[in-house]
Amino acid sequence: MIGAIALHEWRRLRAGMMFWLLLAFGQLIVAWLSFAQLETFAGIAPQLKAGASTLGAMDLVITPTFNTLVLLLLLCAPLLAMGSLAGEVQSGRIALWLSSPVSDTQIAIGKALGLWLATLPLLLSSLLTLAALGLGVDLDWPRFALAAAGLLLFGLWLGCITLLLSSLFDHPAAALAASYGILLFLWLLDSLSGPEAPWYWFALLPHVKPWLAGLLRSQDIVFFVATAGASLLFGSYALARRRGDT
Amino acid sequence: MKPLLLARQVSYGPARNPRLTDIDLQLAAGDRLALLGTNGAGKSTLLQLLAGILGPTTGEVRVLGQRLDQAAPALRRHIGFLPQRVPAYAELNVVENLRWAGQLRGLRRQALDAAIERVLLTLQLDKVRSRLAGRLSQGMLQRLGLAQAVLHEPDILILDEPTAGLDPLQTEQIRELLGALSRRCSLILATHLLDDVQRLCDRVILLDGGRKRSEHAVTPDTDLLAHFRQPASRTGADA
Repeated sequence: MIGAIALHEWRRLRAGMMFWLLLAFGQLIVAWLSFAQLETFAGIAPQLKAGASTLGAMDLVITPTFNTLVLLLLLCAPLLAMGSLAGEVQSGRIALWLSSPVSDTQIAIGKALGLWLATLPLLLSSLLTLAALGLGVDLDWPRFALAAAGLLLFGLWLGCITLLLSSLFDHPAAALAASYGILLFLWLLDSLSGPEAPWYWFALLPHVKPWLAGLLRSQDIVFFVATAGASLLFGSYALARRRGDT
Repeated sequence: MKPLLLARQVSYGPARNPRLTDIDLQLAAGDRLALLGTNGAGKSTLLQLLAGILGPTTGEVRVLGQRLDQAAPALRRHIGFLPQRVPAYAELNVVENLRWAGQLRGLRRQALDAAIERVLLTLQLDKVRSRLAGRLSQGMLQRLGLAQAVLHEPDILILDEPTAGLDPLQTEQIRELLGALSRRCSLILATHLLDDVQRLCDRVILLDGGRKRSEHAVTPDTDLLAHFRQPASRTGADA
């Protein structure tokens, strides 16, 4: 049932204008930035070679574009997720979900997976664009694959977080505002406090950047898995509260 | 014999200002029960409790003898529910909306396809099967909502003001469809239209301020308006 819910969510998003606008906007930004960076790289490549620099296309083109993709996902995911549960409540369709023989946990997991599916076209098309650079320049493929896997996991994490925030509100606009607020806070948290602060662990960038730079650390995996799991748990709890069961 | 649906001492809402207080009702196979009351009487809340959308604050709702709560979501398969606002996706067409409603209720592949074709014919939606739900007339949208509710052939059909907002012709058509559907399952409907009660139901519960005021059998001679005007002193069954 979780798979069916995920596919339905993906179908629902695909039928709306927002999904296509975001996809077109995202692809435009990724293409423009990656070619601008490639042009710069091509310009300085002879000097890098002459200076025996270890920097290559991976550092100067791919990783910066991956960082841009993270930012794009942070901008797009709340727009896709705002209607996920808040929109169902606002339109009255939540009755269809809550009167069906499906558990709240299945709804939360299925919808989060559906949101992740909706980010895949942007992610995969961008990854293919960047991978195509490998035809002309030397790329560090294991590092590329690791960063790509990190981006996919980050997309799933965003689906879980934004779904939780959508489950807390009755209006999509309120869910959108809360999502941007929370994500911006997590994005800036490391610059607001030092590594010794207890809440530093929740800062987003220190977990994302090493992964995109090709460094896989268990603490980053634990961060993403734990916060995504907690979001799903609280999301299904929010649905149960809506019924008055808790 | 176990009743199909049983609500026992059901209350909902905060103790100081409950939306429903100590409601008892029972539905056997083939029963057609109306909930009648003014706006704010608690009809919609009670229907949502009976459909498993809300959980009672105190008391219990049982379907086929089993408690209807989060621990037993499969029990909701016995129930078809049409809320006041039809729960359709405006951006999906009629068949896509039905397909999703069927999938949510556990129908798969051939069984789902057959059920969709059946309800498209029964509810005369065949001609608009490819039309987006957002472009349906109010009457057609109400039919789509009914189709979603009966797609999985539930034992209990719960309807919240099924004829509200319809013109007289559409109202008549929906009543005829409901009359036909109620021969296959038990029916509970909330309404404030006395005609709906008289035409579709054999029993009526009057709600007032979140409490059950009285319960009556409905016959062609029943003066529903007189019951409706009755002071809020009588409770319990009164056939």
